Amino acid sequence: MFWSGHAFTQTMPLAERLKLCGACHGEDGNSRTPNIPSLAGQPEFFLVNQLVLFREGVRKIPGMSELMTGLKDDDLVALARHFAALAVKPGDEPVDPALVERGERLAGPMRCASCHLPSLAGQEQMPRLAKQRIDYLIHALKEFRDGTRSGADTLMSNVVIGVPDDDLAALAHYAASK
Amino acid sequence: MNLIPRLLAVASTVAAIAVGTTVANAQPPGFSPIDRTDQKKSKQNPKLKGHAVPSTITPVEKIPVDNLRLPASFKAEIFSHGHPGGRTMVRGDKGTIFMGTRIIGRVYAIIDRGGKRETKVLLQGLTQPNGLAFRDGSLYVFAIHRVFRYDNIEDKLDNPGEPVELTKAYNLPDTVHHNWKYVAFGPDGKMYVQVGANCNICEVNPGIHGQIRRYNPDGTGMEIVARGVRNTVGFDWHPLTGELWFTDNGRDWAGDDGPQDELNRIARGQEGAFFGFPYCHANGIPDPDVRRPNPCAGVTLPAALIGPHSAGLGIKFYTGTMFPQAYRNVAFIARRGSWNREQKFGYDVVVARTAGARATIQPFMTGLLDTGRNEFHGRPTYLLQMPDGALLVSDEQNGATYRISYTNPRGKKK
Repeated sequence: MFWSGHAFTQTMPLAERLKLCGACHGEDGNSRTPNIPSLAGQPEFFLVNQLVLFREGVRKIPGMSELMTGLKDDDLVALARHFAALAVKPGDEPVDPALVERGERLAGPMRCASCHLPSLAGQEQMPRLAKQRIDYLIHALKEFRDGTRSGADTLMSNVVIGVPDDDLAALAHYAASK
Repeated sequence: MNLIPRLLAVASTVAAIAVGTTVANAQPPGFSPIDRTDQKKSKQNPKLKGHAVPSTITPVEKIPVDNLRLPASFKAEIFSHGHPGGRTMVRGDKGTIFMGTRIIGRVYAIIDRGGKRETKVLLQGLTQPNGLAFRDGSLYVFAIHRVFRYDNIEDKLDNPGEPVELTKAYNLPDTVHHNWKYVAFGPDGKMYVQVGANCNICEVNPGIHGQIRRYNPDGTGMEIVARGVRNTVGFDWHPLTGELWFTDNGRDWAGDDGPQDELNRIARGQEGAFFGFPYCHANGIPDPDVRRPNPCAGVTLPAALIGPHSAGLGIKFYTGTMFPQAYRNVAFIARRGSWNREQKFGYDVVVARTAGARATIQPFMTGLLDTGRNEFHGRPTYLLQMPDGALLVSDEQNGATYRISYTNPRGKKK
């Protein structure tokens, strides 16, 4: 995959490193790349945690682990702080109002708002779901459900046990619409 | 009344079928890991959520050792730090302290270098390697459903090399929730392993989940020693009776005040006893969401209640001679502290004085919870008795351990 083995990121100035992130996640942190999540407005704590998991090889995503290899905690915190402070913009994927409505009905009993807040803006270790890319949300939810997401929060896996694909899509549309 | 035997019969059939298959999806009729929590009924603040554990190093000057309060003549000092997320502790024959974690996926080694402790990352990239055990020079590492053995590990701390993988032999379910492991060698030389309920409250397959099991160290000869256990993440054996005592975390979203967490005992000859999950909690409280007739019939009730949502994790019977005689064979319990409760509770170490089937709980180490501000400064998770009789307490929140020692004020023999 791209950039694999590029240990040069260790000595890169922050601005250079941010350009690498922006190539996929959007320079302003609002991703326009299919299946790549937006980082703008994510809780800093959440971003730091995830970057640590990439660095440690707990979350195994081609490209991400290589980029984080050898970075110090402070480097990760600087990246997280940058993206946490960026403004969230609506995505470029079509949002289906019927799915939004169904997703909202599903989200109540699943207690999404307990951790992700009623606005779905996330907090601390819990990610922002509002205005996240729909394709990425569906991908992530399926990984939680199917047990294929390494380094996942175990509670999330329990929340989506047995939830069918079309319900996951509805949840994704609902979150993206917030 | 016939329900319990029938239930266990179904369970053992299912367990037999499940061997060698993907156990996560093999649910018998009537059982399901789908959560039955009725949050509205609990009338709790819906905004309650788990507290975040930092995955970065806490600067040593921010470690709250000065907050710690202990009985007279006990002292706390920082023993080690710089190991984010460090929880479980075992000590090797040559003095290395191995430390397991959850989210950050590391196993640390803490090495004594002339009285100063050096912390290194021994293993990384594992999925919640909370379960550690040490025997005959080998370190056993239990991640969620994967098991590794590192032989002669203390001679290979700089390069542990490839482990022997025992995953297949142990055949643990691949479900993740409440399945980060606690493990320990029993006095019988068997490996005792937690398999938690993979939900907050649901009818798990009792042939697979909600258990404590024991195995031969190589993963053969599995036996179930406790059933109906929601999530124990700490156990130890009474030094005199040899009986297994374990903490168990009660369910959430059934009220701020409980059902309380439990301290349980498996009496001699009662291996395989049923401890009530999901039908009966604490001192005989029927579950409000998962109901059955006579919910507490046939249930072994706890030896003591250890507080609402207090999250009792590590338990260690004290056998040293440094502490006064009154602490001999007394259990210390680390309570990580509540999340599913408006007014925070726990965040301390208590002692459990056992007498037969019962135990009484008393405070020991406090000071990490500011009840006025409803804030916590640290989260005690596990305990380790050192050869000199000092007690180590790990603080997961700050990536540090505290050494608790005792000095006889009169300089006399205790």
